[in-house]
Amino acid sequence: MEIRMSGVTKTFGEDITALEDVFLSVPKGDFVYLVGPTGSGKTTLLRILNRELLPSRGQVLVGEYNLRKLRRTKVCQYRRAIGMVFQDYRLLEDRTALENVAFVLEAVGAPRKEALDRAGEVLDCVGMWRRRFLYPRELSGGEQQRVSIARAIANDPLLLLCDEPTGNLDPQTAGEIMQVLLSINASGTTLIMATHNRYLVDAYRQRVVELKMGRIVRDQERGRYDFDEEL
Amino acid sequence: MRSFSFAIRDTVRLIRRSPGISGLTFLTVLVVFFFVGCSFLLALNTRHVISVVEGELVVQAYLQPKADLEGLAKKVEKMPHVRGVRPISPEQALELLKARLGNQSAAVTLLGENPLPASLEVRVDKASSVSGIARELVSMPEVEDVVYAGKVAEKLARLSRFAEIFSLFLLVFAGLAGALVLYNTIRVAIYSRKQEIEVMLLVGAMPGFVALPFVLLGLFWGLTGTLAASAVLGFLYKSFVNSVQNTLPFIQLVDSPQLYLKLALILIGGGVSLSWLCSWIAVERHISEAMKPS
Ligand SMILES: Nc1ncnc2c1ncn2[C@@H]1O[C@H](COP(=O)(O)OP(=O)(O)OP(=O)(O)O)[C@@H](O)[C@H]1O
Ligand SMILES: [Mg+2]
Repeated sequence: MEIRMSGVTKTFGEDITALEDVFLSVPKGDFVYLVGPTGSGKTTLLRILNRELLPSRGQVLVGEYNLRKLRRTKVCQYRRAIGMVFQDYRLLEDRTALENVAFVLEAVGAPRKEALDRAGEVLDCVGMWRRRFLYPRELSGGEQQRVSIARAIANDPLLLLCDEPTGNLDPQTAGEIMQVLLSINASGTTLIMATHNRYLVDAYRQRVVELKMGRIVRDQERGRYDFDEEL
Repeated sequence: MRSFSFAIRDTVRLIRRSPGISGLTFLTVLVVFFFVGCSFLLALNTRHVISVVEGELVVQAYLQPKADLEGLAKKVEKMPHVRGVRPISPEQALELLKARLGNQSAAVTLLGENPLPASLEVRVDKASSVSGIARELVSMPEVEDVVYAGKVAEKLARLSRFAEIFSLFLLVFAGLAGALVLYNTIRVAIYSRKQEIEVMLLVGAMPGFVALPFVLLGLFWGLTGTLAASAVLGFLYKSFVNSVQNTLPFIQLVDSPQLYLKLALILIGGGVSLSWLCSWIAVERHISEAMKPS
């Protein structure tokens, strides 16, 4: 899906401005790294795209959806079309890894058997097949993170929003996850990934959008983690 | 349908998760609807008695000791609205009394000389004419006194109005109490699944789908509670009717298979609607709150 954000500002209360006058246009099938220091507004931007937050000012269009004015049923439809990997995973404590993935598929209408099969499949993709019957508390941070990635990609989203999807992974696993994300992107899914992972950004060169104090300070095709004069 | 089986699995999970609250909800619904049923039976029975009494189109006129029974009977028979007159001599009255008392009729002989007055049993064409006829009869010099059902019915009607107001009051009160408990049970269930609901909505589950297990939970309590209430009330009422029939046979209580069916239908219908409404409101409020972007 194509994204167009124009003049998006997000303030919290009187004096916190998380995003300021953001113009961002992402064509269908693009891969975008969202980088920037802590507190620069990356999560806020993704949450606006997930329609958890409404911009204080400005327009957000994703595909045919105008996120400012979505009726309730449209919100559901929109969220089914996209996937999100949350920075804090948001797994359900009382369900196994497999059930965590299967339940979102069931929640959007898949029959149980199909949901379980598909859940097993995506867990295999992220290397969690052997841990599929464990509960979140029995999984390491990185393993929980991989389950949350599996959940986000399970229903083949048209837009995948990833908030620090490799934050807790070692370089080797991070590389494997990156391969998974790249192959999803290759199949036509638009992908936005907020990250602090300098190594990945530099190794798998893609478009880089840098935020600083809520403003876009750099938007570079095939950029590096740090600003790179040569390009 | 498949989302339905998912919801049912979830509902069972919710019921099992908090057995304490489950038991309390069940008991409350049972008690509340037990009282609702009681007030229904009370209202029904008073109404029944009144209609029986009102339906009696007979005025009993007791005559002065020396009045001419046959002559008066002929005269009254010619009055408008009178369907028929049956003269009852003191001797006949005594026989009737003996017959009514059955095996205790021997007691009558203790009275010595027959103290019963002669009377006319006047049958009237319709209920609205009863009091007019009664007034006319009482104005005749030969008539000592008249007795007719209307008098009793009026008193009963006053009583029944009181009973109806009372049961209405009880109904409203019980309804409110039941609604409050059901609403809170659902709220607690929702609260225990707050995180899950949030995630479900974030991945695009339809509000109806998210709400379904909670609405089913409410319906489950509404249904089981009122089923139990109907069973308990039906059983107690039946025993009550039986014991009344044995000890006070002249009191006619409503008692038919249809009554029990009606009672069960009213209680279950009421319980299901109430629980559906309460759980729907509770879950709907939570979902619109959860889906509101900040
Ligand atoms: N709900 C909120 N209420 C108030 N302030 C908020 C809220 N959410 C975010 N902020 C503020 O907005 C700013 C941007 O936060 P955001 O989470 O978008 O940063 P980030 O770029 O994702 O940081 P990190 O790299 O640490 O994840 C921060 O200063 C944060 O304190
Ligand atoms: Mg963040």
